Amino acid sequence: PKLLLSTLLIPSSTHTHATSSSSPHAPPIVIPILDFDLLSVCLMTMEDPDIKKCRLSSVTVDDVIEQVMPYITDPKDRDSASLVCRRWFEIDSETREHVTMALCYTSTPDRLSRRFPNLRSIKLKGKPRAAMFNLIPENWGGFVTPWVNEVASSLPRLKSVHFRRMIVSDLDLDVLAKARLDELEALKLDKCSGFSTDGLFSIVKHCRKMKTLLMEESSFVEKDGNWLHELALHNTSLEVLNFYMTEFAKINAKDLESIARNCRSLVSVKIGDFEMLELVGFFKAATNLEEFCGGSFNEEIGRPEKYMNLTFPPKLCCLGLSYMGPNEMPILFPFAAQIRKLDLIYALLATEDHCTLIQKCPNLEVLETRNVIGDRGLEVLGQCCKKLKRLRIERGEDEQGMEDEEGLVSQRGLVALAQGCQELEYMAVYVSDITNESLESIGTYLKNLCDFRLVLLDQEERITDLPLDNGVRSLLIGCKKLRRFAFYLRQGGLTDVGLSYIGQYSPNVRWMLLGYVGESDEGLMEFSRGCPKLQKLEMRGCCFSERAIAAAVLKIPSLRYLWVQGYRASTTGQDLRLMSRPYWNIELIPARKVPEVNQLGEVREMEHPAHILAYYSLAGERTDCPPTVKVLREA
Amino acid sequence: MSRVTTELDFFGLEKKQTNNVPKPKFKKFLDRRRSFRDIQGAISKINPEIIKSLLASGANHADSSTISPSVPSTPKADHPQIPISPVQAPLTMQTEHSSGTVPMTIFYNGTVSVYQVSPNQADDILKVVMETAPKKDKSIVKDHSVIPPTTLRTKLFGKNLEGDLPIQRTRSLQRFLEKRKERLVSISPYFPTSG
Repeated sequence: PKLLLSTLLIPSSTHTHATSSSSPHAPPIVIPILDFDLLSVCLMTMEDPDIKKCRLSSVTVDDVIEQVMPYITDPKDRDSASLVCRRWFEIDSETREHVTMALCYTSTPDRLSRRFPNLRSIKLKGKPRAAMFNLIPENWGGFVTPWVNEVASSLPRLKSVHFRRMIVSDLDLDVLAKARLDELEALKLDKCSGFSTDGLFSIVKHCRKMKTLLMEESSFVEKDGNWLHELALHNTSLEVLNFYMTEFAKINAKDLESIARNCRSLVSVKIGDFEMLELVGFFKAATNLEEFCGGSFNEEIGRPEKYMNLTFPPKLCCLGLSYMGPNEMPILFPFAAQIRKLDLIYALLATEDHCTLIQKCPNLEVLETRNVIGDRGLEVLGQCCKKLKRLRIERGEDEQGMEDEEGLVSQRGLVALAQGCQELEYMAVYVSDITNESLESIGTYLKNLCDFRLVLLDQEERITDLPLDNGVRSLLIGCKKLRRFAFYLRQGGLTDVGLSYIGQYSPNVRWMLLGYVGESDEGLMEFSRGCPKLQKLEMRGCCFSERAIAAAVLKIPSLRYLWVQGYRASTTGQDLRLMSRPYWNIELIPARKVPEVNQLGEVREMEHPAHILAYYSLAGERTDCPPTVKVLREA
Repeated sequence: MSRVTTELDFFGLEKKQTNNVPKPKFKKFLDRRRSFRDIQGAISKINPEIIKSLLASGANHADSSTISPSVPSTPKADHPQIPISPVQAPLTMQTEHSSGTVPMTIFYNGTVSVYQVSPNQADDILKVVMETAPKKDKSIVKDHSVIPPTTLRTKLFGKNLEGDLPIQRTRSLQRFLEKRKERLVSISPYFPTSG
């Protein structure tokens, strides 16, 4: 059978539905939608009278599926396969290698290990996305402790761990390190908090074969730089080292250099603020480096040539140099033509500088920057970067006196972008002005768009063309591949009709973030009649009542996760119970006053409106909530 | 050519002379920055006739006819000027531009700002002021060389349009913008610790 399989391996990117014809040797079975045509081809071949003669008589369908299942990696396909019959369920369980839990509270650690004992890799997410924007209490939850303990006791094949927006302690890291030792190849503490450099040291000390170590955007206590030194002493396998957007101050450039020298496979390094001139040795040693982000430029009056002699590794093609200004920019010019990814979010470039640089990067595939790129920069992008696949335009400074001149993106830039960069798959942009026409052109030209996010900034009181009902409809109809969609406007930005369009015309969208859309509960009800595949819904600043939200949730068939901030609360606060149902957890973060430091250094109490969080769970209600989180218990 | 400006106390500053407790320089700078945000509302309180007379006399007046002898309470030396700031003209020597623009000085709430303004542009300011509902004037906004769009942005006083739910930034972006601000301030020629 193995020989048969290898000669018949036909990968297919389209989903197929195949049935076997009835025959005495193979019972009729319906094969669920699978990514590979392999299975259906195998089974049909087994039906083929000529091939039947040469196949081994003891081969059964079950044997085939055992061989085939490992090749099926898409989780949705695995999900379908596991529903066919008990045997297929078992085979899927035994051979599943990776699981992503979009919310760690949807199940329990022991359920995970019981069902998938041979997991190689897990990704768990904790806090709601809003935590990245400082909206969620720090101690909200998402503790990795029970999961780490389960890994230690019951997941002996685990090699890769990714925790995102979770709380991790030094003890957790120590337990994980000692449980997996050299088997652990990848650890990603992605926007996590709660640990210190002691925990990192433990990981590095016990897990000598780490290939990926990531702490991007995590917050932790830095006691010393020993963890990096330990890595420099004993690791030769490292491929990815990432502590971008962290505040390490006690690390040593010499250790970075040693790591670069010892780890011949080191391809991606992202660090925090670090004077670039101290990295010269590192860059010389990291001969296979392809990606670098971080560092820091510190100009000196009287030394204009300070950074002019900086050279970079020959394969470097993904770059993001923090605080890079127009004077330093030319050091990229010698290899600009090979740059595929550029991160300018933390650079100090003006619109003109963007135009100059972008023109030199015809092979750019990924660009991240602030809105200082301006409409002019987007026009240049549309003209020069035909291969662009991903674009993120962040919100720059808007404090008066501190903002970038020309630092605005509007419909003008969007139209130029849509017409010019037709390979775009991901687009996230903060705009200062918008029109229906610009959204229409996105729908017309960007046929590959899978992920579209638009935020309308609140600086300008008058927007050229609101509401955006027709524009968003055209966009959704045109961008057929859209799976993720964010639309964050203001009052008057979208009528109830426009909101109904979003529901009606998003057949494939799995995740939505809607801000200040619609006018009344009617709009939400109409919206909820659509969205057939919507799994995760986030809403902010909307005018809907508790009652309408609960009713809408019950109508959206695939919805498994809801987050809302800003809504019309009921007088009793009990209307949310209208969406009570088995396995549906409902939690509230009631309105709070949070002391915060504003731009002027003054401490003010900021109002934080209430949040609703609701999700399907097999784990029952949470038992580890902080005081700020209230579980809506069964009445 | 000696400086020719007419200084008019639009708001009766002499009554509002701030006390002489020296504020930290950065805070003063921030006060000034914050004042831009309030200027839209402030301008609406100006008697349009005053602006008209200022402009009319702008090109050919002989002496400064100051109504108020009060000195701006933020001395020039303490005015950190930001390279990207729209107000780049130093407050001392100013010459009339050949394009016909003259300095327009606005006193507000203890701070001083100066813009090179042509009569047309000043007219536009006037129009903005005189309309009952504040509106963004596109002709001014587009002229980056003189009047920065932000000072005429019709933003409500201190509040954004969403009230309690402002659009938030990610933490790393916020931190970066704070560091950027520190850099911009520290390289200003007026900041005492910079080169």
